[in-house]
Amino acid sequence: MGLDYAAVEKEVCKKMTAETIVSMIRILVFPGALFLFTLAFFYEWVDRKFFARLQNRYGPLHTGPHGILQPIADFFKLLSKEDITPHASDKLVFILAPIFYFALPLTTLFVIPILSQTSLISFEGDLIFVIFAFTLIIITVFLAGWSSINRFSTIGSMRAAVQMLGYEIPMGLVMVGPAIAAGSLSISRIVEWQSLNFWLILLQPLGFAVFTVCLLAELQFVPFDIPEAETEIVAGWRTEFSGRKLALLRLGRDLELVLASALITSLYLGGSQQFWLIPPIVIFLVKTTFAVMLLSLLRAVFARFRIDQMLSGMWKYLLPLAALQIILIQLGLGG
Amino acid sequence: MNLFKWARTKSPWIIHFNTGGCNGCDIELTAALTPRFDLERFGILLEGSPRHADVLVVTGPVTLQVKDRLVRIYEQMPEPKHVIATGTCAISGAPFKECYNVHGGIDIVLPVDAYVPGCPPKPEAIIDGISKLIQKIKKE
Ligand code: SF4
Repeated sequence: MGLDYAAVEKEVCKKMTAETIVSMIRILVFPGALFLFTLAFFYEWVDRKFFARLQNRYGPLHTGPHGILQPIADFFKLLSKEDITPHASDKLVFILAPIFYFALPLTTLFVIPILSQTSLISFEGDLIFVIFAFTLIIITVFLAGWSSINRFSTIGSMRAAVQMLGYEIPMGLVMVGPAIAAGSLSISRIVEWQSLNFWLILLQPLGFAVFTVCLLAELQFVPFDIPEAETEIVAGWRTEFSGRKLALLRLGRDLELVLASALITSLYLGGSQQFWLIPPIVIFLVKTTFAVMLLSLLRAVFARFRIDQMLSGMWKYLLPLAALQIILIQLGLGG
Repeated sequence: MNLFKWARTKSPWIIHFNTGGCNGCDIELTAALTPRFDLERFGILLEGSPRHADVLVVTGPVTLQVKDRLVRIYEQMPEPKHVIATGTCAISGAPFKECYNVHGGIDIVLPVDAYVPGCPPKPEAIIDGISKLIQKIKKE
């Protein structure tokens, strides 16, 4: 009975505080929120610059070296602007929607392995969580447009909801492919499996193609930018947002781009794995940059579909292709 | 220079509004955005919604019909906002000045920050006008 309870308690507390601080730093700074914000701004710049070069333009050039600070300048400018809440809008939803739109991709990024082969938060079934988060993002988009009570926003949000019916199912189906191959529904496990076997893009090229097309629709990039078609419905579901809310929406879009490229990387390109002496994080950044450039290449070479063309194309061509991929895996090819 | 002012000078987004010109100025403004002149180099984007824009670029004279609508578009923009009058029409009404349906230049309804003369002004002149506006924002 000679235990010194106070000393033991002190020891435990010390250990716990140290652990809390480490996990706080991991979530808030690296590889958590702050790192992801920087990455989001950087990828917006990569996207804009590459897109401009494909159009034979220069893109942002005079804001920082080669315009690399351009997304940050846009963000701070929008923060400093007047924040208008239209009189007729549904105020609560109108204010909350941008916050959700920005928080959802950020939270989802925590389940993707960035620093090493295991992510910040990893559990069996986080792939399902990602699919669920993608749906929630579109529902937020719908609510954002709907709550503005603007005719353009309403049309844009309806289009976003209808578009979701098109790409959601092929995307969900095709994301199961890597899970079957690795025998696990956890993204960290899929990355681990790929480091021991092949990259899944070699085994399931069809799945990779379908997934990329669906991500273009999810991001509302050009062939599928129907919900915010500039030349038809002003700015679609974002029409009424200004100032801080628009800044959050833009940051949310950038985080979504990071999420999309990180998913392509983790599911098909082997994720963050060690390569000789190069640390996994560098490999991850190289691969995601490649994925962003692939997405902006597709954005640059296509023209916008009509909503009915998009829907019928998704159901007629993409869904059977996704099903074919799963059947091929079941037959023992690519799994 | 503080952070927000720097950000404002580096990313002026424009919205384009034709109040009743002959379309010559609009084509020149569009040309300024295309690969040859590429306004995005300076961080300038063309936005569709007045809620997103900082600079209202007006081409054409103010007609009786369009006056209320022009003011309404201007009021929908969030502060701080600026106006550029592009082309002789927007400055004074030019060839349409004596018409029965024309009020005159933009500055009889809105506070104008920069004038770009020419009928139509070259894309270089429009870029020059925007850069003068940026100088003005810097001095504020
Ligand atoms: S200034 Fe000249 S070119 Fe421009 S709208 Fe007027 S008439 Fe047309």
